[in-house]
Amino acid sequence: MAQLLVENVTLSFGGVAALSAVSLVVAQGELVSVIGPNGAGKTSLLNCISGFYHPQRGRILFEGQEITRASPHEITQRGIARAFQNIELFSGLTVLENLMLARHTHLAYGLGAAGAFYGKALAKEVENRRVVEEVIDFMELEPYRKALVGNLPYGVRKRVEVARALSLSPKLLLLDEPMAGMTLEEKEDMVRFILEIRAQGTTVILIEHDLGVVMDISDRVYVLDFGQVIAEGAPEEVARNPRVQEAYLGVEV
Amino acid sequence: MRNPWAQTGNYRTSYQQDTSIFATHRELVSLLLFLGFLLVLPQFLSRTQVFILDLILVYSVAVLGLNITTGYAGLINIGQAAFMGVGAYTAALVAPQGIPFWLVVPLGGLVAAFFGYLVGIPSLRVKHLYLALATLAFQMVFEWAVGHMPLLKQGGAMDMPRASFLGYEAGFRNHFHFWYYVSLVTLVVLAFFFRNLLRTRYGRALVAVRDNDRAADAMGMDPGRTKLFAFALGAFYAGVAGVLYAYLSRAVVIEDYTFAVSIKLLAMAIVGGLGTLVGSFLGPAFLELLDVNMEALSNFIKALGFSVAGVDVASALRPLAFGLIIVLFLMFEPRGLYNWWRIVRSYFRTWPFKY
Repeated sequence: MAQLLVENVTLSFGGVAALSAVSLVVAQGELVSVIGPNGAGKTSLLNCISGFYHPQRGRILFEGQEITRASPHEITQRGIARAFQNIELFSGLTVLENLMLARHTHLAYGLGAAGAFYGKALAKEVENRRVVEEVIDFMELEPYRKALVGNLPYGVRKRVEVARALSLSPKLLLLDEPMAGMTLEEKEDMVRFILEIRAQGTTVILIEHDLGVVMDISDRVYVLDFGQVIAEGAPEEVARNPRVQEAYLGVEV
Repeated sequence: MRNPWAQTGNYRTSYQQDTSIFATHRELVSLLLFLGFLLVLPQFLSRTQVFILDLILVYSVAVLGLNITTGYAGLINIGQAAFMGVGAYTAALVAPQGIPFWLVVPLGGLVAAFFGYLVGIPSLRVKHLYLALATLAFQMVFEWAVGHMPLLKQGGAMDMPRASFLGYEAGFRNHFHFWYYVSLVTLVVLAFFFRNLLRTRYGRALVAVRDNDRAADAMGMDPGRTKLFAFALGAFYAGVAGVLYAYLSRAVVIEDYTFAVSIKLLAMAIVGGLGTLVGSFLGPAFLELLDVNMEALSNFIKALGFSVAGVDVASALRPLAFGLIIVLFLMFEPRGLYNWWRIVRSYFRTWPFKY
């Protein structure tokens, strides 16, 4: 059964159709990439899935339950985490604090316990720290643990952004251009992280412009152009598709 | 075994240890010593001096609440005095019925928290200055409503009874001492409550919503509920402060809870350092002591009969000093007195080493 089902989603801003009748099926454990030229609607699609936009038509199901109209925090509580394209970290806080606060939905204790910082609150916070340290370990962020996010270089901040989404222990991870603007070395690291995340059973939807990366690591690829899905399938099939070549390279005269 | 007294810096080895507030043994002990000092302090002071300390403590409670709403959650609130007033008028209505003060204090806080929740509702839709106007509106509505309610004597003085605790009656001679200890205990309890909240999901949600409410939403925090929580909690602190103030001044008058007081509370929060816990105590202490000294100075000048162009310099001195201090802080130390405190503290943390 499909974990995420996007059916005929249509989203328009005034007269501009950002997405028209876009459908997407993602199975548990898959690594699916969404590619397309600038302005094709990739980020709009992600915004619909994560609840920042609500499409005018169509519906979105996650694990069989409708989330089309749900707000972002409700969707996060169901197990979908997202890393933003333009880094949206809390820049006045440390890396550790950024990751600790991401696990908000996993910390069930009352106001009284929190105010006394005793019993359940203390136990949960120690557990919180342990899980976050695992993520720090995984994403190789140890040197930056107590550094303010605002002072970190761009590549590291991108990594913290992914780490924060990962701290939510999501079932489905949405990555919006996690490698944009990175050096080759940083990209290779990030690809390694994504493959490991997926190897641990987390479904990943990746938006990426680097076609080399996309073709290498994706199980399936969706190609968007002008808000429509123009091709879908395994990377090799998609690369051979004449409509995709047209969208990327233009029409041969 | 390492000697904990000689410890400089951070030697934590478990995640549980790393949740602790105090980095070293010395920090914890200095706080306990300071609290002990505060316990014996009023025994060496006159009644008037204790009264000034009372005011500092009570305003600290209100400023702490303002820091929660405005400093930590970033929701500008210029109606904090009205929330104090809600607490005070609750006290004026229930205390004469014979309800003991230790029930009236939390009750006033809860009623204020309810009003805080209501006032917080616009915060779901409007931000920044527009939200500030909504809180200003509450301040105005509060003053107008009290002024038209016969039940509340239309803002005139409503008497507060004297309090007693375990057979110990707060009489004329020990009134200020009695409320000094009650306010001190209340402030310490409320401050610790909030300090603990800061290391849990509740406190982190406040800061997250302040810094980036879009990202907070994506982290599974409901920004709307968090903002309402911030308003309710901040108003709770104000309500408690209002009850304490009412008991302390033995009457509830509308003049004590006007817009000017709201601004004064905001000034205290800024001078202390917005969004800092320690600043909530430093700000009120600094401005109250400044006020007292300026009053003494202006009395001194008045006695000299000194005046410029027919204007009484003495009576202009207090508001002038108040305004000047705020401007100077905004210009030269916008992080407030807390920043000085932070520098001193980090020096002593590694003392006798430099770093």
